[in-house]
Amino acid sequence: MKKESVLSKIFLFFIPLTLILIFTLFPFYWTLITSIKTPKEIFQLTYWPHSVSFSNYIKLFTQSDYLICLRNSFLVAACTTLVTLCTTLLAAYAFSRYRFKGKKAFLTIFLMINMFPSVLLLVPLFAIMRNLHILYTPGALILAYSTFTIPFSVWMLTGFLNDLPSALEEAAMVDGCNRPKAFVRIILPIAVPGIVATGVYIFINAWNEYTYAVMFTNNTSRTIPVFLKLLVGEFNIDWGLLTAGGIITILPICIMFMFVQKSLIQGLTAGAVKG
Amino acid sequence: MKKKIHWAPYLLIMPAVLFVLLVVAYPVLNSIGMSFQNYNLMIPGVRGFVGFKNYITVLTDSLFYQSLLNTVIWVVFGVGFQFIFGFILALILNTSFHARGAIRATVLVPWVTPGVLIGLMWSWMYDGNYGVINDVLHKLGIINKFIPFLANPSTALPSVIVTIVWQGIPFFAIMLLAGLQAIPNELYEAADVDGCSRIRKLFNITIPSMKNTIFVTTMLRIIWVANSIDVIFSMTGGGPGYSTHTLSVYAFKKAYGTLDFGIASTLSIMLTLLLMIVEFFYLKNFFKDAE
Amino acid sequence: MVKFVRALSAALAAVIVASSFVGCGSKTSSNNAASSNDNTPVTITHWLWVDSADYMQTMNKIADDFHSKYPNITVKMQTYAYSDFSNTLTTALAGGGGPDTASFKLTWTPAYTQNNYLLALDDAVDKWEGKSEILPMLWDKMKEAGGGKIYTMPWTWQVLYVYYRPSYFKAVGIDSVPKTFDEFIEDIKKCTTTINGKKVYGFGLRGASGGQEPWGSFIQAYGGRFADENNKVILNSPETVKGTQVFIDLYKNGYAPKTAVNDGLAELKTMFNNGQIAMFIHHIGSSVDMVKANGDDIDAFPVPKGPGGQWTSMGDTENVVIASTKHQDAAIKWVEYLASADAVKKWDLATGNLPVVSSVAEAAEFKDNKFMKVSMESQSYAGIFPILPTTANWVNNVWAPVMQQALMGKISAEEAVKQLDAQLKGQA
Repeated sequence: MKKESVLSKIFLFFIPLTLILIFTLFPFYWTLITSIKTPKEIFQLTYWPHSVSFSNYIKLFTQSDYLICLRNSFLVAACTTLVTLCTTLLAAYAFSRYRFKGKKAFLTIFLMINMFPSVLLLVPLFAIMRNLHILYTPGALILAYSTFTIPFSVWMLTGFLNDLPSALEEAAMVDGCNRPKAFVRIILPIAVPGIVATGVYIFINAWNEYTYAVMFTNNTSRTIPVFLKLLVGEFNIDWGLLTAGGIITILPICIMFMFVQKSLIQGLTAGAVKG
Repeated sequence: MKKKIHWAPYLLIMPAVLFVLLVVAYPVLNSIGMSFQNYNLMIPGVRGFVGFKNYITVLTDSLFYQSLLNTVIWVVFGVGFQFIFGFILALILNTSFHARGAIRATVLVPWVTPGVLIGLMWSWMYDGNYGVINDVLHKLGIINKFIPFLANPSTALPSVIVTIVWQGIPFFAIMLLAGLQAIPNELYEAADVDGCSRIRKLFNITIPSMKNTIFVTTMLRIIWVANSIDVIFSMTGGGPGYSTHTLSVYAFKKAYGTLDFGIASTLSIMLTLLLMIVEFFYLKNFFKDAE
Repeated sequence: MVKFVRALSAALAAVIVASSFVGCGSKTSSNNAASSNDNTPVTITHWLWVDSADYMQTMNKIADDFHSKYPNITVKMQTYAYSDFSNTLTTALAGGGGPDTASFKLTWTPAYTQNNYLLALDDAVDKWEGKSEILPMLWDKMKEAGGGKIYTMPWTWQVLYVYYRPSYFKAVGIDSVPKTFDEFIEDIKKCTTTINGKKVYGFGLRGASGGQEPWGSFIQAYGGRFADENNKVILNSPETVKGTQVFIDLYKNGYAPKTAVNDGLAELKTMFNNGQIAMFIHHIGSSVDMVKANGDDIDAFPVPKGPGGQWTSMGDTENVVIASTKHQDAAIKWVEYLASADAVKKWDLATGNLPVVSSVAEAAEFKDNKFMKVSMESQSYAGIFPILPTTANWVNNVWAPVMQQALMGKISAEEAVKQLDAQLKGQA
């Protein structure tokens, strides 16, 4: 492998990375310092608080419903991810590896459903949830979210699988594996990055969703986005709690992702894959 | 490819199809139906089938065309820049370096930030009196006076586009990163032997090998960005004037402002049709490859 | 093998989904048509918005007191964010669900009454012993909004006045608060200068949604009116244009900050606290916060009289009973309790709002509050926008975009008033 010159490393790597990191993280930094500022200082343009106070975080954990909402969000997001991945992995394999009648039609219908602004589906969906007696339980959100993440995931996983040449499993089948075995042994390991990426997408979608969360939850089944929006009052915005809540919302996901991100990258050979 | 018995693929797709259609089919059909009716919660007396009247009303509404233009700008620049920067980031994150895991986790932040917080934080950052963006630009000498970004119709739309780009870069970075993995190293090694330059490798190997991933992610993202209203609502509410009115914002305001679900449904259908036209070209390419 | 895998994952999915239905949500109470006067335990749901968790604690206390008074009635409260409260409520009602009672704003009335979502309360109110305790002008306004019938019980109300910074007035040589609208405009101009090294704007003009309320004071001061006695819209008049021109000129000539086009309450509060504006119009709901930030250096005066009249906007929050409730009697008792002296005193002490009950307004804690005084002074000329089917949309989606265009000079004051008039009439 050629050794990169220091200059090219700086221009092609460090500078772009630093710039993008600054752009990405600055609002987060601003949120962080706002959450540890005193109420008076929040509206002043200081880049580091004159006096640091953690009272917002204490209030968040002891005097508000935040922890309950955190648990609810995790529950809903995890279940949605599981349900969606299970159903769509099967479907994506079919769409990717088979030719069959109606394939195009199904894929197109899936896509069309997602093109529709979800806001207009609120009233009928609310009625459906009510009739199924799952209103105000996490099940309502899992059901609602899955119906929107499934079409997206089908498309994404189909896309990832399409990028994997079918020659791979055909070779295995020639060797005597049947199709499911070839899928599990050959395709699945290579498709892990795609599956993980899709899983991340589903999780985050469910985690951040607001419009349905507001209608289908009540005080006990609330999720975090709803909790945070409640801090925007009629005459007053509780900046302290809002920013503190925001920081605590972001952190666990990033930590989780640190463990998961390894499986986004696999099959590394000597040296890096150069762009 | 061996042709299997016909029932296998259908069984495989059955859970997904059932799940989706059983829940969403009725609401979607219901909405389509409403677009052909007079359905205004404010005027319950006048309800009923009116054929294409709503569509004509919409097509002769100048605000519809303004929203349409805004939507095009919003999507083209929003998704375009998200993709470009996301791709660059994916390429960078693909290399091996210290603290790679931590960096990968940190770039996730915009995507994981709750929408209400994004809108509020960016609004304050853009503020014309205390905004940190103004402060920094001023200190760097780029501007002389503070600019009220969100109060000025010519800067409002670009400002919210910057925010949506910020939010969407991680999505592309992660998706494209996963896609980069599918490219066999042998291809690059062969190119190295041939003495290919970086740029040639990028355009001749990387991008073609990731065609499907790129298609799907941009296509999905176009749909998502076209429909998103959270950021716009919390930052400008569709204003100043109508400068940040996109079709989905307009539909939402019709639904919950005037409670005119008939027109709102019509607007949504028009947006869907437009997206379908755009996606048509994608679909053509996608299905062509899948053969 | 395929069949097995498929069956397994489907089963797995079903199990997971099913288990979350049995989750931690509250069960909807079994709705037997309990007869109204027996003492079977009843639980009613009340939807509301609160500006902070502290206020919620006060509400919980009020609910507890209510429960002690009526041990068979339990009130479960659900909070929703203010900005999408009405959307959430309408969606729930349209979908067949919703609470028994809810907080409410007068401007929403037509949408709800058109669809028979609200219970008419005239009979209940006539029988209510607390009726005479309520400030009479509130009954009039609520009847007006309901098209002749009463659908709402009073909860809080506010009157818009002008906040000012006494130290700035002193610095530019203003001895007393303006008594006429012309003086008011003059004072704004005087205060637009540099004070203590800081560039100050005389008036924090509110160009975003909500700004129609202060603007209303401007047009009425010069003789413009929203509607006549028959609730017919007469907004388009030379007087309204004059008032609008005065409003626009404040911005055009630099007496208001450049950001005014987009400024909402949050921005105005911040600019005042940072000393950037000398005056802005709002009401007692923000007074607690403003005093916290400014101590003694904030005071208020009533919106002054202009050559054509004197008017200030009345803010409000009410409570309503949803027509589809299965516990009418309990629901009515709850909203009546909320409008009685005990609840009103507790709530207004916590939030700083104006008491709707006369006896409470006489109490020392309220009478001596300077913002309360100014509010009460403005009572006689406080009013509401005409409550028409077009009002809610006009307030939320029409006024701000039209006025923003006028402020930016894209359309003239005449054109703006013409558009506002047409939209309010529903003729756009």
